Amino acid sequence: MRLPRTRELFAVTAATSALLMTAACGSDSDSPTDDATTTAAPTTDTDADSGSTASSGDYADGTYEGSGSYANPGGVSEVDVTITISDGKVSDVEVEPGASGTSLQYQQKFISGIADEVVGKSLDEISVSKVSGSSLTSQGFNQALDQIKADAQA
Amino acid sequence: MTDTWAFDAIGTSWQIDTTLPLSSDVRAEIDGCIDGFDRTWSRFRSDSAVSQMAERAGTWTLEHAAHLLGLYDELHHITEGSVNPLIGRTLSDLGYDAGYSLTPATRPADVPAWTNVQRSGDTITTTQPVLIDVGAAGKGLLVDLIASILSEHGIDQATIDASGDLYHRGTTPIRVALEHPDDPTRAIGVVVLEPEDALCGSATNRRAWGDGLHHVLDARTGRPTADVVATWVIVPHSCMIADGLATAHFVAPPETLLEAVPHRFVRVHADGTVTWSPDLPGEVFK
Repeated sequence: MRLPRTRELFAVTAATSALLMTAACGSDSDSPTDDATTTAAPTTDTDADSGSTASSGDYADGTYEGSGSYANPGGVSEVDVTITISDGKVSDVEVEPGASGTSLQYQQKFISGIADEVVGKSLDEISVSKVSGSSLTSQGFNQALDQIKADAQA
Repeated sequence: MTDTWAFDAIGTSWQIDTTLPLSSDVRAEIDGCIDGFDRTWSRFRSDSAVSQMAERAGTWTLEHAAHLLGLYDELHHITEGSVNPLIGRTLSDLGYDAGYSLTPATRPADVPAWTNVQRSGDTITTTQPVLIDVGAAGKGLLVDLIASILSEHGIDQATIDASGDLYHRGTTPIRVALEHPDDPTRAIGVVVLEPEDALCGSATNRRAWGDGLHHVLDARTGRPTADVVATWVIVPHSCMIADGLATAHFVAPPETLLEAVPHRFVRVHADGTVTWSPDLPGEVFK
């Protein structure tokens, strides 16, 4: 039988691949945003009227910038954080994923799309000729699973 | 496509769509191909070659081993050992055994090192009994083998569907829904398969039988994977490679896999987020 030759295919594609050797995981770039915002939030909540100890006076008004790094499965990524303090309180927080070369390239080359919690569409709404999924798996497996569930209820 | 031949094989549902009904000769050849494949590679039947390899060490010649295990060699290398066809015993111990006991052993076997197995072409030499599981790419190879049979008989309009592993040949593209991992009545997106494209999907939710137990193992830990719940891969000309990559997406980051083999992918993570390749021929519904 005629079949594509895997090894040759791999060899050719590997040799001609211009893709990155290392890259950060772009899909994780949301995480530091959340973390940084969460970290800053208590400061925002520190209202001078509440008599909290960490009130005005601890920080001079102004705009502060900083950056941090975090490890993810794809390597190390950076975030830039800008905090604005007015009247001794945090009035604004901006967090940007560091536009480091690998991170940016990663997003452009490997993942153009990132979506949170995809709801999807009903199959009735879309016109397709095939469905690819896992609902049709091994009959033997499904029967066994049904049997175990039945036994558990007995 | 006006004619559909549906049948069950290697434990799952198949459908071959063609413009004209397949002749009995072609069907018989396909039946024979599937039977031969099953007798060699199925760990779910006691008379198969891989079941004999699980009984004793020795030298064995398995049809398609060079091709199929050659892909495993590459995936093993790319994923630094996370893809390894010797996960059979561990999967079986975890409950995914020939009798579908779905009851995990207290101490599942460790996964033997793939490098201990010597292979030259289709011939394999083992130093201990090993249980090979080709679940990551075997079904894809069988789809390719059937596509070859159709090609040899001059049937150039056909879509082979092995429950989500697809090979499409013809003159027009087809649209394929990507089934929502949690709801088979919904799709998370649609892709367009051009003629001679293969699409493979893999998901852990349905072949799951207990707390964190499903059929995709990371061979380095010997335990089911947890971070990714569903993947799809599109590769031209080879359902086997698409199948293997769809499994590899459970255990390796996309950039590592793309560096080795260009392909298009969609992956759904355990936290519900979805990522996909920039050149995906289709869309993911946001």
